[in-house]
Amino acid sequence: MGKYFRELSVAAALVLLLVVLAGIAPAFFELQPLLSRLTAQTPALIVAVGMTLVIICRQIDISVGSQFGVCAVVAGLLAAAGLPLSVVLLASMAAGAAMGALNGWLVAGLGLPSIVVTLATMVTWQEALRLFQQGKFINLPAGVQWFGLAQQRGQLTLIATAVVLLTCAAWAMKNLAAGRHVYAVGTDAEAARLAGINPRGITLGVFILLGALAGLAATLNIVQSPQVDPKAGGGLELKAIAAAVVGGVAVNGGRGNLWGVFVGLLLLATINPALTYLHVEAYWEKAIQGLVILLAVVADGIRSRKGGAK
Amino acid sequence: MKRHSLIALLLALSAFALLGGCKDAPSGGSNNSAGGKKMTIALLPKSKGNQYFATVEKGARAAATELGADLLYDGPTNTDPAKQNEIVEGWVNYGVTVIAAACENKEGISAALKAAQDKGIKVVTYDSDTTTDARSFFVNQATAEGIGNTLMDEAARLTGEEGDFAIITATLTASNMNEWRKHIEARLKEKYPKMKLVDTKPCDDQKDKAQQEATNLLSAYPNLKCLMAICSPAVPGAAEAVKQAGKAGAVKVLGLGLPSENKAYVKDGVTQSVILWKVEDLGYLTIKAAAAVAAGSLKAGAAEFDAGKIGKMEIQGDNVLLGKPFIFNKENIDGFDF
Amino acid sequence: MSQPAPFFKTLLARPEAVLLFVLVAELVFFSAVGRNFNTADNFANIVRHSAEIGLLALVMMPIILTGGIDLSVGSLLGLCAVLFGVFTHEWHIATPLAAALTLVVGAAAGGLNGGLITGLRLPPLIVTLGTFSLFRGLAEAITKGTMTYKDFSPAFLALGHERALGLPYQGWLFIAIAVAISVLVHRTTFGRSFQAIGFSPEGARYAGLPVQRRIATTYVLAGFVAALAALVFTARLRQARADAGSGYELQAITAVVLGGTSIFGGVGTVGGTVLGVACVAVLTTGLKLIPAIALQGIGSELGSLLTGALLIFALAGGVLAKSLAARRARRQSLAKPQPQPIT
Repeated sequence: MGKYFRELSVAAALVLLLVVLAGIAPAFFELQPLLSRLTAQTPALIVAVGMTLVIICRQIDISVGSQFGVCAVVAGLLAAAGLPLSVVLLASMAAGAAMGALNGWLVAGLGLPSIVVTLATMVTWQEALRLFQQGKFINLPAGVQWFGLAQQRGQLTLIATAVVLLTCAAWAMKNLAAGRHVYAVGTDAEAARLAGINPRGITLGVFILLGALAGLAATLNIVQSPQVDPKAGGGLELKAIAAAVVGGVAVNGGRGNLWGVFVGLLLLATINPALTYLHVEAYWEKAIQGLVILLAVVADGIRSRKGGAK
Repeated sequence: MKRHSLIALLLALSAFALLGGCKDAPSGGSNNSAGGKKMTIALLPKSKGNQYFATVEKGARAAATELGADLLYDGPTNTDPAKQNEIVEGWVNYGVTVIAAACENKEGISAALKAAQDKGIKVVTYDSDTTTDARSFFVNQATAEGIGNTLMDEAARLTGEEGDFAIITATLTASNMNEWRKHIEARLKEKYPKMKLVDTKPCDDQKDKAQQEATNLLSAYPNLKCLMAICSPAVPGAAEAVKQAGKAGAVKVLGLGLPSENKAYVKDGVTQSVILWKVEDLGYLTIKAAAAVAAGSLKAGAAEFDAGKIGKMEIQGDNVLLGKPFIFNKENIDGFDF
Repeated sequence: MSQPAPFFKTLLARPEAVLLFVLVAELVFFSAVGRNFNTADNFANIVRHSAEIGLLALVMMPIILTGGIDLSVGSLLGLCAVLFGVFTHEWHIATPLAAALTLVVGAAAGGLNGGLITGLRLPPLIVTLGTFSLFRGLAEAITKGTMTYKDFSPAFLALGHERALGLPYQGWLFIAIAVAISVLVHRTTFGRSFQAIGFSPEGARYAGLPVQRRIATTYVLAGFVAALAALVFTARLRQARADAGSGYELQAITAVVLGGTSIFGGVGTVGGTVLGVACVAVLTTGLKLIPAIALQGIGSELGSLLTGALLIFALAGGVLAKSLAARRARRQSLAKPQPQPIT
């Protein structure tokens, strides 16, 4: 219990919420809306995985929502031009990786603080995209939606992709040298360097990875409907950071578990539909979301203080 | 260290003092342009980076080119409710001849527009009006009441005047949409006792969020007969949710949106009605009317306004009428490309 | 190192000096190409449009100086604006008392942040991310999102519109708070401890400073001034609504960091923050007065883009200057061998 207290307590909160829903509004568990909800969260999950690595590395990236928007428009324009989806995916991931590399270079190469760098790049990409696209939707050709599969198969494919990616990342963080190096750099970059790890390389790496994952997420997003909204991605950075935090990732680096983030995202993503099913007015949503984030960190704080006092 | 920071502060404050002590420009500078040959028209959208207002801008630019006037176009790029006021106040100082504003917030902006009028700048409004004392004319494509009634009547027509329906809006604080919601609810109370508004959800002006909200609404309210989307990204979002739920036709979709974003859904019978006006014409008419007000050729009491290539427009009171809101459906949507 | 460097050299190495240069360059440039830039009305506009963000930046600065951050100030501004509306319009409290009550609520909300951060040793980023949602959520819940409070008393509205000695009221307010915070941070033992805490919390603790209490003070101060900014905002817009101050937290942080305060804490001046606020305000206003830009209809976007670029260049310039200085120092020390610390 001890080691995974946070992950388990968030999971318990999620289960409690689901039990309440099962009792009061069993319609919540109807297959079609449930699948739609899960599918809609796959891009957020993939971005949250990348964000977690960045936070474990003791950095942060608030430009990821803007990156996602740019990637979605790149992917949308290429798909609308009739290019095969594999090319679209690669181009979108390359665009994301390039934007991630810029962040990574400014942070790792020049030693600038990541919160400020990504604050600046967030504004830059967002305004550039607005000037370029003027908010115009991109209509996609038939055959892009669900990769040309039937709806339910498409949704299952997306969910499976995200879960496989999460599993691989969680495994790699634990068992691969590169994964452990991310923890080492986040815990103490200088000690990591003395131990023969290249902290700059690792930092650059996690930013590029997050960018590429934002590109992947954007592609998985555009196949969910026949149109691309260039405003997609607004607020995604806060969603990913909140999921990581609620899931027990320490913002000062070195600690965190991707499965915790998974549960954290599920909990946050359940609150909004739960309000609809429980017939609670929408204007309570933000307050409740804030309360959940605070409760999660306060519970953790109280527990760690008790632990420290022992 | 101490001394340096104090020096820096003093320098900074003296820089401000320098700014404050600057010479007065002769009466705000609006006469800079009034005296000049070229008219400067400023067009204020509710928000930028939005296809609706990009289309308005297109029509406006065409009119400005025809008139040989300069056109300034700027608006909020984020959700800061103070931005429209700041832009208007900037224009007053810039010295524009006339301001054409789409007001996000009726009362919020009226004082800034009145201050502009006090400086001799003419003001017209379009798309959504301010208080009547803060402008000369309203280029009226539809009043808040007209929009609310049209939406509600159309929803009633589609559902046979009975059953549950839900609204998807942009944000809960968007005051123009709150105005429409008020009129929708008033019309509902007054005319359609067998219909019930079960929920109102915000979608943050994002299509994907609208789709998720609609998906939840469809299953949380199994008796839902109609989804009413009152911001443009929500119309295709709601339609996609209905399509994915396999309820096309059983649950009606209508809303305020652009034909180009909804064409496929309308043809597939997922979305029944998209309500809008000729957006490019709205931009064109607004600039024509603004220029006429500034030149003095359009005065209070006129009954008609000649808007050049789009024809003669009727004037009722101080409203220049673009014509009634247009309902796009399966039969006519192919004829429009904005 | 102990040798006094020439005055102008130390001045140039300071971010404030660079910013002052940027500010003067902006003023000269916009006076030359901007339309009606150099007018009293325009400067009144600049001051009025940036006063709230400026106030938030002034109190964000001590927080960042201690190594913290506060993402909730914009949301708190919204909540306080709405509460002020509730106090005056629904509880029918007299305006001065309602304003005082609003300030108390703001300070209390700041106290909630400070209490959670220091009492439970929680990271400020997370706590204020939570209250960022919570405060905005409460503002929406109180008004159901739709309620707008208007028709405030003319005396109160003057705060947002009138000028004294050519400077808008909120400009005087900004100067007063700037001087007060500057004295607090740079002139009092109490405030100087902020810098010590940001430089090394452990060191400050060993030096006997009540670190947690001092940190909590900075958040209470931020809450109080956020409420003040809410009053100014309400007076300027003549109405209170739940979306007041959306996104202001990031603009305040931008101004503070641009002003040379290190986001890691321990380094920074209030004067720098004032300059940071002024640079951004003049830039975004000035761009819109350049006819070529206004005619293209890209004024707002360009303002945001250039602010982002300015931020990156200021930071990168600072790092570059530091590494050049280090290189020169190394070269000098090679000429005259000295024991070198391992880096």
